[in-house]
Amino acid sequence: MPPTDNQGSFLNRISIRRNQVAYEHEIEDVEQFQKHVTDRLSELFHPQEDTTTSDPPEAILSIAWFRKLLDAFLCCEAEFKAVVIMGRDANNFSKSPLDRLIPEHLDRSVKALDICNAIIHGIDLLQHWRKLAQIAVDSLNQKPITEGHVRRAKKALTTLLSSISIDDKEIHHHTNKSTSSSNNNNTTLGNIKSLSYPFARTWSAAKQIQAMSANLTSPRGGEPTGLVVPLYLMSSVLVFVMWAMVAAIPCQERAGLGAHLQLSKQFTWAQPMIGLQEKIGEQWKKKEKKGRSGLLLETQRMEKLGLSMVEFAEGFVFPVEGEKAEEVAAMVAEMEEVCGRMEEGLVALDMQVREVFNRIVRSRAETLDVLDQLNKMTTPVPY
Amino acid sequence: MEDTNPPPSDTSNDLNTKVDGEQTPSVVPQDGTPHDKNIDQFISLLRTDDKSDSSSPPEIVESVQIFVDLFDVKVVEYESGSKRWIQLDENESACFLEFVDRNAKLIKSMSRFHYEENYAVVIDRISSVQERALCILEAEFKSILDDYQTSYDRDQDKDEAKKKELKSSASNVHVQEAVEPELPDQSEAEHEKDEFLGYSDEMMLVLKKLANGLITGGHVTECSELYFFVRRNATEQNLKNFRFEKFSIDEAQKMQWEPIEKEVSSWMKMFKYFCSSLLPSERRLAEAVFSGHTAMSDNLFGNLTQIVLSYFLSFAEAVMMTKRSAEKLFKFLDVYEAVRDNVPLVEQLLSDEWLPQLKSATSLICTMLGESIYNIFIELELSVKSDVAKTPVPGGAVHPLTRYTMNYLKYACEYSDTLEQVFKEHKRIDRVESVTDLQSSQEHQPQNHQGGNGSPFQSQIAKIMDLLDVNLEAKSKLYKDPSLSLIFMMNNGRYILQKTKGTGEMRTLMGDPWVRKRSSDLRNYHTNYKRETWTKLLQCLSHEGLSVNGKVMKPVLKERFKSFNSMFDEIHKSQTTWVVSDEQLQSELRVSISAIVIPAYRSFMGRFSQVFTPGRQTEKYIKYQPEDIENCIEELFDGNTAQLSKKR
Repeated sequence: MPPTDNQGSFLNRISIRRNQVAYEHEIEDVEQFQKHVTDRLSELFHPQEDTTTSDPPEAILSIAWFRKLLDAFLCCEAEFKAVVIMGRDANNFSKSPLDRLIPEHLDRSVKALDICNAIIHGIDLLQHWRKLAQIAVDSLNQKPITEGHVRRAKKALTTLLSSISIDDKEIHHHTNKSTSSSNNNNTTLGNIKSLSYPFARTWSAAKQIQAMSANLTSPRGGEPTGLVVPLYLMSSVLVFVMWAMVAAIPCQERAGLGAHLQLSKQFTWAQPMIGLQEKIGEQWKKKEKKGRSGLLLETQRMEKLGLSMVEFAEGFVFPVEGEKAEEVAAMVAEMEEVCGRMEEGLVALDMQVREVFNRIVRSRAETLDVLDQLNKMTTPVPY
Repeated sequence: MEDTNPPPSDTSNDLNTKVDGEQTPSVVPQDGTPHDKNIDQFISLLRTDDKSDSSSPPEIVESVQIFVDLFDVKVVEYESGSKRWIQLDENESACFLEFVDRNAKLIKSMSRFHYEENYAVVIDRISSVQERALCILEAEFKSILDDYQTSYDRDQDKDEAKKKELKSSASNVHVQEAVEPELPDQSEAEHEKDEFLGYSDEMMLVLKKLANGLITGGHVTECSELYFFVRRNATEQNLKNFRFEKFSIDEAQKMQWEPIEKEVSSWMKMFKYFCSSLLPSERRLAEAVFSGHTAMSDNLFGNLTQIVLSYFLSFAEAVMMTKRSAEKLFKFLDVYEAVRDNVPLVEQLLSDEWLPQLKSATSLICTMLGESIYNIFIELELSVKSDVAKTPVPGGAVHPLTRYTMNYLKYACEYSDTLEQVFKEHKRIDRVESVTDLQSSQEHQPQNHQGGNGSPFQSQIAKIMDLLDVNLEAKSKLYKDPSLSLIFMMNNGRYILQKTKGTGEMRTLMGDPWVRKRSSDLRNYHTNYKRETWTKLLQCLSHEGLSVNGKVMKPVLKERFKSFNSMFDEIHKSQTTWVVSDEQLQSELRVSISAIVIPAYRSFMGRFSQVFTPGRQTEKYIKYQPEDIENCIEELFDGNTAQLSKKR
């Protein structure tokens, strides 16, 4: 990974920073940092692709896109650490407004960790959705498509669709078995619908995002220290990434997520983020009215295809021939492709989210270490 | 049991011999066997035909129609709900699964000619019946799996008393720790009996058959998803029964430490129970239900474990992210040890693909907790170093700093093995991360005593002890009376020595030379104290200079008695307020004071008391009888607070 490779040279820079020339270097570093972030985010934002109907594999809100987004986050994070945290001493952070901004940033980091944990559970649910869709693909890939195959596919799809539509609306905690053992209902696969949550039922991803962005205000011009801008940048990227993940991946309680952060237009790196945010925000508004499966492209396609497939199943007459057969084959092929992307992407995405978690934990610890240099001198023995 | 789970056999011959060998003719429909044979022949015909790539399919044998009609009738019977699998006898269920198996093969081999209309129509028919049959299997599979609660809850009622015990003892860590070693044995035994988490042997038998049927029929995903969700719900139900608290990292940041601290104790219990007992049972269950399908059981168990552990590890993460402070050390150590010790129990049950995520999560937790633990010691070191008090402790008693530090270290040493591990790991990280820190810490190495070149934790403890000494030395200077300084040093030194000797681990860490050195220091304080306080007094009792040419100089004698009395009064008055709370030290001091004062006084009295005229003069100058002196000495170091508080 590029950021780690750079750390050797960062170390050099840090030692130089102690000298008189330090200030200039810092300005240079911060500028570089902002430029890199701008580049990385711009890559994620392709407005020109907007109009094309086909879904390129890295289309916005796809799994592949999220993997790139998280990559960008990890790079950004590594550079942030090198520019802002490493080699600092407590005095750097103890002056206003950093003495306020840094703890605020750390608080956001903590909230981001919870979101990561919630997202990891969400990815697990996506895997189950994929398995259900895969059942439909497998059974409708049979030749000839028989009533039995259709029935099997429909059952899996009904379970899938009901799981998608109840996700995060009702049933926070799985319903008990009171219903399941008594009814021999063959239309769904039973309790697969439910999403188990890592937190108490009052925890809300949307509220966490709101809390993260509430006090995130753009620095005014002429702030006393050059670290204010990169800190604001890092917080903005953090909140944005978490917001996008919550919007896309099944997650505990997302009502009210639409209200998002206000990014300052004065920074070039904010432009692609604002663009992305608007696009995702629009989709959110559209989607919020009917069910909340999350905006993940694959989920949306899966849901759409699932509905068409159920429709096909309902009007099924043996044998399927001609145009109808081609239609089904096309749907199945598309669903298969979606499943393939999910199978391939979700494991990697899960690992990446875990990596993001690890990195945030470590960076926070390193920041606290710097801050603690001050506290250490003043900790009394608690007798 | 094994013969109910044959590996999916590919040759129809095998199947036939198995059917013949297993089934009694009275149960199998008489007309079933010949048709089955015909179908099996048909299937192999289609297969062998496969190779020759001929375009015209063989004619569909009549038996297929009869077979599917028969199967249909059976399926209807089950669909009506009149038959439940748990009540079926061995042969009936075997017969049904036979149908499914044969049908699956039939569909598979016929599909090759799906473009032939007559084939397609038959395939539609038989696959429809097959699907209905598999639905029945699914429903039965789920309903039996779901039935865990009845039997399991019965079990849980039995456990209820035990659990309550656990919960209540959670308030006291040390009591709990004493109980702990028995726990795994108990639960191990519990679960030997309850090998399959409340599923009876009959249920297990049926579950295996159903799983096998579903797998044969191609419903692998349905089967594993059903299984997974039932077991996950069961596990989560279990966590709920234990009142497992899910709280987020963010919440933990804002919580008071006490509720978290309490939760740590019950978390430890639960975590241990899950890792050492419940998850191994889940493993056995998955293996038994999906015997012969290792990949499936590995995967199902892995998935379940991942979720369960994520709850437990989230808690550990929430704890590790709380702001570190000295009082959290012991809980941090508890959580560290729990993760270190319990996760490997589960790791050995998991297939390789599940390990990387788990390892990365646990290593993060151990590293972060390790860092906090390490830093707590560094902070303790700094705190001891920089603790400055302006006012001395009244009476030269044990300083709160000594008490705090020693008790803290004493508890810490109960975790000495873990702390050694943490310190070794951390020193390594430290060396990589900051060279400068290491250099500066080497500069501050304590004077080289025995522990100095020992393990990192050992030298850390030694360093703190040295700093405590230096600090106490400085604090002793706050007393204006040098005797009181010495009493203070004695008190604190004694306390440190006793605490160290009283804790096996700490005694071992500090080593013999240290103990010898401390003991000799204490003796020196004692000697110096006697000299400081009592030598001057004893000078009053010196026989020298009292007689000139054998004649006692009465005025000098009067002066001697007077100054003895006033000096003694003064000593008595001040030193009864001094504190020596260690009984042994107190009595040692009194004994050694008496040993020098009483004989001298007695001899002085014996020699000179008759000089005074009995009556007023004697009363005036001989204020104390030797017994009085003895009594007064017995009152020293009592920390006479009544007097003290009156003064204040």
